[in-house]
Order: sequence, then structure tokens, then C-alpha cells
Amino acid sequence: MQAVAFEHIDKSFGAVAALRDVTFAVAAGESHAIVGENGAGKSTLLNILAGSLRPDRGQVTLGGTPVTLASPRDALARGIGLVHQEMLAFPNLSATANIFAGREITGRFGWLRESEMRARASDLLARLQLPISPDASVESLPVAHRQLLQVARALAFDCRLLALDEPTTSLTAAETDHLFRVLGDLMRAGVTIVYVSHRLPDVFRLCDRITVLRDGRLVETFARDAVSHDEIVRAMVGRSIPQRAPAPPPGAAGEPRLRVSGLTRRPCFEDVSLAIAPGEIVGLFGLVGSGRSELLETLVGVQSADRGSIAIDGRPVLARSPRASARAGVVLVPEDRQRQGLCFNLSLRHNLALPAAATRGTLLVRDAEIDDSEALVRDWRIAAPSTAITPDSLSGGNQQKIVLAKWLALGPRVLLLDEPTKGVDVAAKYDIHGIVLELAARGTAVLLVSSDLPEVLALADRVLVMREGRLQGELTAGADEESVMRLATAPLSVRGVRLPFDGAQGRQGDGGTAS
Amino acid sequence: MRTLWRVRELSTVAILVLEIAFFTWYLWPAGGRSHPFLNAANGLLVLKYSSIYGIAAVGAAIVIICGGIDLAPGAIIALSGVVAGGLFVDGHWGLASSAAAGLLAAMACGLLSAALIVLVGLPPFIATLGVMGIGRGVAFIITEGRYFDVSGALPPGWRLAGIPLDWTSPILMIGLALAFQILMTRFQWGRAVFAIGGNAVAARFSGVSVGLVQASVYLVSAALAGVSGIALTVVQGQGKADLAMGYELDIIASAVVGGASLSGGRGSVVGAVLGTLIFGVLRNALPQVPGATFYDRLIVGLVVIVIVVMDQLLQRRKGASS
Repeated sequence: MQAVAFEHIDKSFGAVAALRDVTFAVAAGESHAIVGENGAGKSTLLNILAGSLRPDRGQVTLGGTPVTLASPRDALARGIGLVHQEMLAFPNLSATANIFAGREITGRFGWLRESEMRARASDLLARLQLPISPDASVESLPVAHRQLLQVARALAFDCRLLALDEPTTSLTAAETDHLFRVLGDLMRAGVTIVYVSHRLPDVFRLCDRITVLRDGRLVETFARDAVSHDEIVRAMVGRSIPQRAPAPPPGAAGEPRLRVSGLTRRPCFEDVSLAIAPGEIVGLFGLVGSGRSELLETLVGVQSADRGSIAIDGRPVLARSPRASARAGVVLVPEDRQRQGLCFNLSLRHNLALPAAATRGTLLVRDAEIDDSEALVRDWRIAAPSTAITPDSLSGGNQQKIVLAKWLALGPRVLLLDEPTKGVDVAAKYDIHGIVLELAARGTAVLLVSSDLPEVLALADRVLVMREGRLQGELTAGADEESVMRLATAPLSVRGVRLPFDGAQGRQGDGGTAS
Repeated sequence: MRTLWRVRELSTVAILVLEIAFFTWYLWPAGGRSHPFLNAANGLLVLKYSSIYGIAAVGAAIVIICGGIDLAPGAIIALSGVVAGGLFVDGHWGLASSAAAGLLAAMACGLLSAALIVLVGLPPFIATLGVMGIGRGVAFIITEGRYFDVSGALPPGWRLAGIPLDWTSPILMIGLALAFQILMTRFQWGRAVFAIGGNAVAARFSGVSVGLVQASVYLVSAALAGVSGIALTVVQGQGKADLAMGYELDIIASAVVGGASLSGGRGSVVGAVLGTLIFGVLRNALPQVPGATFYDRLIVGLVVIVIVVMDQLLQRRKGASS
């Protein structure tokens, strides 16, 4: 008996194909994992199941009947509950109001049957072993409890199928155990579970079958007992490495260009130490939520560190602000060019001139600005008809090159790259790799964060692997994908030293009842 | 959660009481003459003029809780007053049908705001700014600079359902405030308004008809401004196009002082009405303070800032300790 089946599902966002011809079925009463690297299409599939996205092609069937899931409300009415990766809660409402939001128990004219809902909420909270009052304001609850409230919500509507999207990314070990106990109870009660995660230990612990997605395609569905951790990893990453592996620059001895010692910012990362020589490219690999973007942001002073020190060419620097860091020679090309990288209301020229003007305090001089920006566009081979246009008419790849170029104009000593080729086409990716290699050849130290493992392995001289806010290990150039992925997903040898994400709140919430 | 609101409203009451106590003390008359501020007639005066703001502030609070903003109430007050007054005085319509026509004109404005926000997708600030101009403009076109002498056309000694004229709009304000307070806290519609203001995306995912509720909120706000406009026309005895100029900002300020958060999801209808009373007392008492004549706008501005900053500090401390 099938609980849900996906048949030839296609879904594209613009030119990016998120899902291509995905076909598989989830049996009733089983717990079924969907795993894959970032961008493999897991969340898209789940959103289709929850009715918030419509497939371009293909059919979803529930219990053998083809259905169209038009809206989240529709999916909920058909017994599909989704626990979102993001915290979709109403911070301003009580736990009870959150559980019943949109589907309140009502009398005439929508009169709220508060006492009935409160009683049901108490029952549900007790069933989930949640030590919170049904009247507790949700903003006072720790993240883990908010997540379990979403489970409570699904139960309140008698969901027979519960889909969870990366539910453990912000939970501590104890909270994860709690969630899994609850899910175990639900499975015994006959609820089907679809569990999306990149945490393989969690997946092996909970799920009967594991479906692997890669680049929007289904690789295979494995039975848990017939597959090893390593086989899953291989299925997740097994794709071809780009042909032209660029030659690594010569390693340099002597004073490192960038030295980071014991840098800590709770709860994002802890005790991070690393050194990068001039001309060296160091890859930093980790899955979403491992703390890598936060580390980069701290290095340029967007966020301030709790502890630790940063030195450039042996001289300590205080990363007080991106402006101060840029003056010291450390620049960050951020992950999200739409939001963090470019001002879309300004021309390319003004975008390119912004860091130089802001960090050096130069007044904008029109002629020099035009010359400089045109030189940058020429030097970095950006396909733009003019520097007077705004970035929105450029392709993603050329936008990304503008973001790079605006920082390169400063001649940085340390270049921090966060997902520099995310969402760009292959040609632009190749160009960007070329720019990075050229800079390194000129002596810039590069720290490259990327979820694109082949890219990291191709560019970097060394690869640091980060997981749950700590550096887990270092691999030299030529390491294979599997060993990196294993470090990034394997459980720590000592479970007890897991970094408590959102720790302070979490522990407090476990203890007593919030009022 | 419910206790939290009650506490928040209590603090608004406390500010109001302190304010009244201050002016009672400050304006205490020498030599046993009657108190210029603390007397029944003056109290009724404060209530009467505050209620014009108060009725509209009920709607403003609901819009703000829903995460929106409505700049149109001032203009809608004028428009509904002019429509009702014009039909009653020049058109010789009955009082009830004139009032109904004024209310319909107000609701037409609300529908326009709702359509611009929900269907066209304009930001509420822009949509209601436009409707504010349209409403005020239509009022001027209707009157062509005249005013409608409503009090002259009313039969002498006229009263609504036996209630003295001065009492009508305060009673209306209290009744509407209580009704909408119950609607907001005890009914599904109100819960949806809070949910959308708290997290509109989550509300959509939870199956709330976000567009419909948002539309209803602007319609309610406009209708309440219409009621306020009709009340103002009757109380002041005339319908004029330049009535209630700039009221929208006072009304929003009242809602905020009464606990509504402009980021949505928080606030109360009763709090907003209490907020209008805080400003009503200020507007009434300040002119009686010798030498304060030119300071009253300044003081009103300072009061808004001080109350909201205090509230945020309290919230932050509560957040830190919990």
C-alpha cells in the first residue's frame, strides 16, 4: 500500500531544473528519508508534497489516487502535515493558538472554543512530552519546542503523513533524541514519515528506506539494512569533476597571510583556528548550518566574535566592521548577491566604486570612477554593454563577477569567498575560477566556502571541513569527495561534545515550564 | 498571552490616570473656585472629542495588528460627513438614509484600499495614501467649498434613541471598542488578524485566507472612520470637506501608544481607544496651562516617543528575564 507516490515530477525555477523526472513511492506506515547535497531538490519535492509548489509535469498520488495539491490548506485537509525547516510559527501567539492557527475549533460565527482548544493542546503537548503550558507565548520558547509545536499541529489535524524538512539542524543532541522518540511513537501509531535531511546518522537511525537525489534527479531508493553509510555518500556526490583541474599555486613558507586563533562566536562556531599562506587557496567545506558563513562574516566584522584573534601578515587586526576589515585588506564576497552583494538600484559603475569610495573615504569623482569601473569590467571579462546600466539586466554569472570585481578593486590581501559560483552557469563558473586562481598567483590568500564539493577539490590546496560549528579536520589537495563528505556528515566520536546550537535557550526550556 | 495583553492595557490606563492626576494637581484652582479641568462637563467634552478619534482608532489598531497601515481615516471622516450632511441638508433625505449613504461612501474607500493592496499588491502605505487623496478630493468636489449646516436642519432638541447628543458618540465609541475587542480576541477572524500580523507566510501555510482577511481589515477600518465622520458631523453640527485634517496620524499614534506594534501582530482595540483618551486629555488640558499655548504639538510629540520607548524598554527587560 502506497501512502504517497511521485510520478515523473519535473519542476524548474527559471532556467534551473530543480527536479527532473523524479519517480518513487513511499509505503504507508514506513519512514522514508530523502537525502542529497544542498540543491539536490529535496526541499522542492517536499514543498510539492505540502501543496506550496506545483510540479511543472508529473503526478502525485495519495493512497493510489491521483491528486492535485493546490495549497498548503489543501494538503493539510488530505492529511499531509509539513514541519518546515524555517521556523514557521507565530511568535506573537500562544502555543495553543499556534497549534490551531488557520483551523481553529469554532462555534457559531467563528466564536473560538478556547477551552476546548486548550484542552486538546494540553493533550497533544503531553503526548509529545513537551513540558510547556498551552498558554505559553511562542516567542519565549526554545527553537526545539517551536519545531515540536509544528508536529503537534500536524497531529491536531490527524495527519497520516508527516513530512519533516531538516528538522534537526537547530536542535541539540538531547532535543534530537526527544524528537526521534516522538516520531517513533507516531510510527508505531501508523503515521507515515517523510524525512528530509543531509544528516546521515539521523537518517540511518530513523528511516526504513532512503531515497537519494542528486542535481534534481533520483539516483536510487535504498533499503536501510541493505546499504552502508559510504554507499549513500557515494550516491549523493557521485558526479564528474570538471575537466580542467587548475594547477595549485606553490605553497609558501613563512608568515601566514591570515592567521585565525581560537575564534568563537556562540552559537554559530567555536574555537576555529586556521592559517593561510600568501597565494594559498584553502577550501572550507561544510553543509548548510555548519557555521561557515557565520565564520566568514565574523572575519570581516559583520558580526563580532566572542573570543579569539585575527592577524594579517602577523599583525593583529580587530574586525570591527566590514569597512575596517577592508582597510586591513580582508574582503568578503558574500553568498547572496541579490541581497548582500549588489545594490540593484545603482549602476554597475556606482556598485563597483562603492567599496573603494567607502573604505578609502574618497569623494566620488566622476571621470576617475568611469575609468576605474570600465577597467574592472575589461580586466575581469564581464559581459556588460555599459557601466551605466543596473545589474538586473546581467546574467547571474556576470552579476557575480561584478560583486567579485568591486572588491578586487581594493587589491585585497585576504579574499573570503562564500559560495562564489552558486546559481551561475558553467562558463561563468569557469571564469570565476580563473579569477580566483589569478589572484592567488598574485599572492592573495583565499578562503573559499562552497557546497559544491568538486569545485572545492578542484580549486583548493587544502580543504578544511566544518561541521556543527567546529573544524572537523583537514584534507590535502587530491582528497576524494567521499572522505570530505564523511567528515562533514559523520557523527563526532564523542557525542557529548556536540555544540549546543541555540544552547542557552534550549537547556532552559528543557528544565521547567514556561509561563 | 491573554494576561500579557491585560497587563499592557493596564499600563495604558495607568498613564491615563497619572495624566489626569497631574493636570488635576497642576490646574488646582486657588480659593475654592470650581476645578477648571476636573469636572463632569469637561470630562464629557474630552470624551466627546476623543470619541471621533477613538472610533477610527479601533479600525487603525486592527489594521496595524494585521501588519498594515491605514492613512485614509482622516479623509474618510470628512467624506462620510460631507456625503451624509449634503444628502440630509441639501437633498432632504432622512437622517438614517443619509447616514447610511455616508457609511457606504466610507466603505467604498475601504474597498478601494483593499483592492489596491490585495489585488494590485501595492504597499498599504502607498495604497491608503492614494485613497486619502481621493477621499479628501471627492469631499471637496461635493461641497465646492460650502459647508452643510446639519445642526440647523436637525429638529431642535433632537436626540438619538433618547440619548443626549453629547453622549451619543462616546457611547458609540465604547460600544464599538468592546464589540471589536471581543471580535479580535474571541473569534476566528480576530485570531487570523493576529496570525497574519505575526507571520504572514506562516499564516498562508496554515491555511488562513490571507487576502480575504486583509481586505476585510481595511474595509472595517474605513467603515469605522465613516461612523466617526457621521458622528463628527452630528456633534459639530456641520459637514465640511476640511474636517479631520491630519487625524490619521493622531489616530495611528493613539493605537501605538495603546500598545499596537507597527511591525504587526501586537496591540489591542481597547488600548487604542485608551490612547485616544490620553491625547484627548492633553488636547483639553494643555490650553488651560498658562503659557503652554505654543507648546502643545511639541508636548504631544514628546509623549508619543516617551510612551513607546518606555514600552520597548519594558518589553526588552521582560524578554531578557524570561
